[in-house]
Amino acid sequence: MNPPVVPVLAELAGLLIKNAMPGVPEAERASDLGLSAALLGVAAEMWDRQAHILVEENRAIRGLLGLAGEDADLHISALKAENDRLRAALIEAQAAAETAGDTARQAAIWAELIASTERRKLSTAPV
Amino acid sequence: MAHPLEPRLAAYIAGKLPAASDLTVTALERISGGASRETYRFVLNWTEGGEARMRKLILRRDPPASLIDTERRIEFEAYRAFAGTSVPVPEMLWLEEGDEALDHPFFVAEEIAGYQASPQMLLSGAFDAVLPKVAERKWTILGEIAKADPAPLAQWMETPPPDACWKRELDHWEGLIDKDQAEPLPVTRAAIRWLRANPPPPAQKLSIVHGDYRTGNFLFDAVGEIHGILDWEMSHLGDPLEDLGWSLQPIWTFGRAGRPGGLCSQAQAVAIWERASGLTADPEALHWWILFNCVKGQGIWVGSAAAFNRGGNRAPIMIYPAWWLINAQDRAMLQVMGKL
Repeated sequence: MNPPVVPVLAELAGLLIKNAMPGVPEAERASDLGLSAALLGVAAEMWDRQAHILVEENRAIRGLLGLAGEDADLHISALKAENDRLRAALIEAQAAAETAGDTARQAAIWAELIASTERRKLSTAPV
Repeated sequence: MAHPLEPRLAAYIAGKLPAASDLTVTALERISGGASRETYRFVLNWTEGGEARMRKLILRRDPPASLIDTERRIEFEAYRAFAGTSVPVPEMLWLEEGDEALDHPFFVAEEIAGYQASPQMLLSGAFDAVLPKVAERKWTILGEIAKADPAPLAQWMETPPPDACWKRELDHWEGLIDKDQAEPLPVTRAAIRWLRANPPPPAQKLSIVHGDYRTGNFLFDAVGEIHGILDWEMSHLGDPLEDLGWSLQPIWTFGRAGRPGGLCSQAQAVAIWERASGLTADPEALHWWILFNCVKGQGIWVGSAAAFNRGGNRAPIMIYPAWWLINAQDRAMLQVMGKL
């Protein structure tokens, strides 16, 4: 997720402390706390499945690109860095398949991209 | 407790109203949302010619960093261009482009009080009976914006040739995504490649483009009338199909699949717009502009994340669009491209 969850939670912690103090205008307090609650809800939804999503996606993209390897470091930050590297390579591969007119490869890449948006979909997403 | 901006704002307005005395700013409170500008409502009281006066006003101030960087003069002049027309807009009062008065540039406008803008409220079920009326008014007003003469704004806004509107916008938003993305965006990049390979026809006319015309940016009442079109900060001159495409892009269905703005079918919205504007929405050209607007949306969402990540604006409103909408915007692109 972008921005990453860790700095967002740190920011929300500071915001909660600020809004616990007197003197914060009521409308600003209501806005800050309402949005903070919504963000905490998203973080909670992603907490359990984020690592699974990234491992599954990295495995799928390696398969498409014919790359060996697996995720040994299961920190979210490490999985995300590998995911970024693989998705950048996938963009190159898709553009190359379009240039070459390789429709079968294009279809395989589209299938993974569709699957990736299903994995990442939030329960409250508008689409 | 009085808001610290109140005496500073009162001092500024006193300089604009030399005939006024006993001038006060009270009840200043920030309105929630406002990721691109800080928006406050306040009450101005003063005495003039021996008579006590009062107005409810709005302050729109630039934040330290925004999810979109725009010129407040352009927004100010876009509102002024439609004053007194069939496109309802609040009266613009004062524009301040310097930092001295309130630390950042700002403008002050009339508050159109007593109406709602919230999409969640409009689509809560309580307004279902008037949604057809809202849809009729929403796309009629957009048609009137498309029909309007853009000449009065040409001194403030770049005037692109009709066959260059699409490229200027796509270059702009792709450039912002290049600058702001924190992670690769394969779906978005594929959409951009398709848009460049399949350009739309030249604009049938040059129009004022609102730039963010969607449910949530107009004020409505209980009977479905629209009393104000807001948030003109992305306005520019361009292809009128751009605004129509933004209003129809799937992210603005608010979860009501197939109902742009949560209001009606796409065919109904397009028919209303064509009738009001006197223009034609060629289906292939409109498809291009809807997909383009998905890319534009992604540019805004990754821009909000970038503003947070760079530390320029750490407000929760900068995080929420990025978390909630980046993947949803990819899914919207897949829908428009017929992949989902």
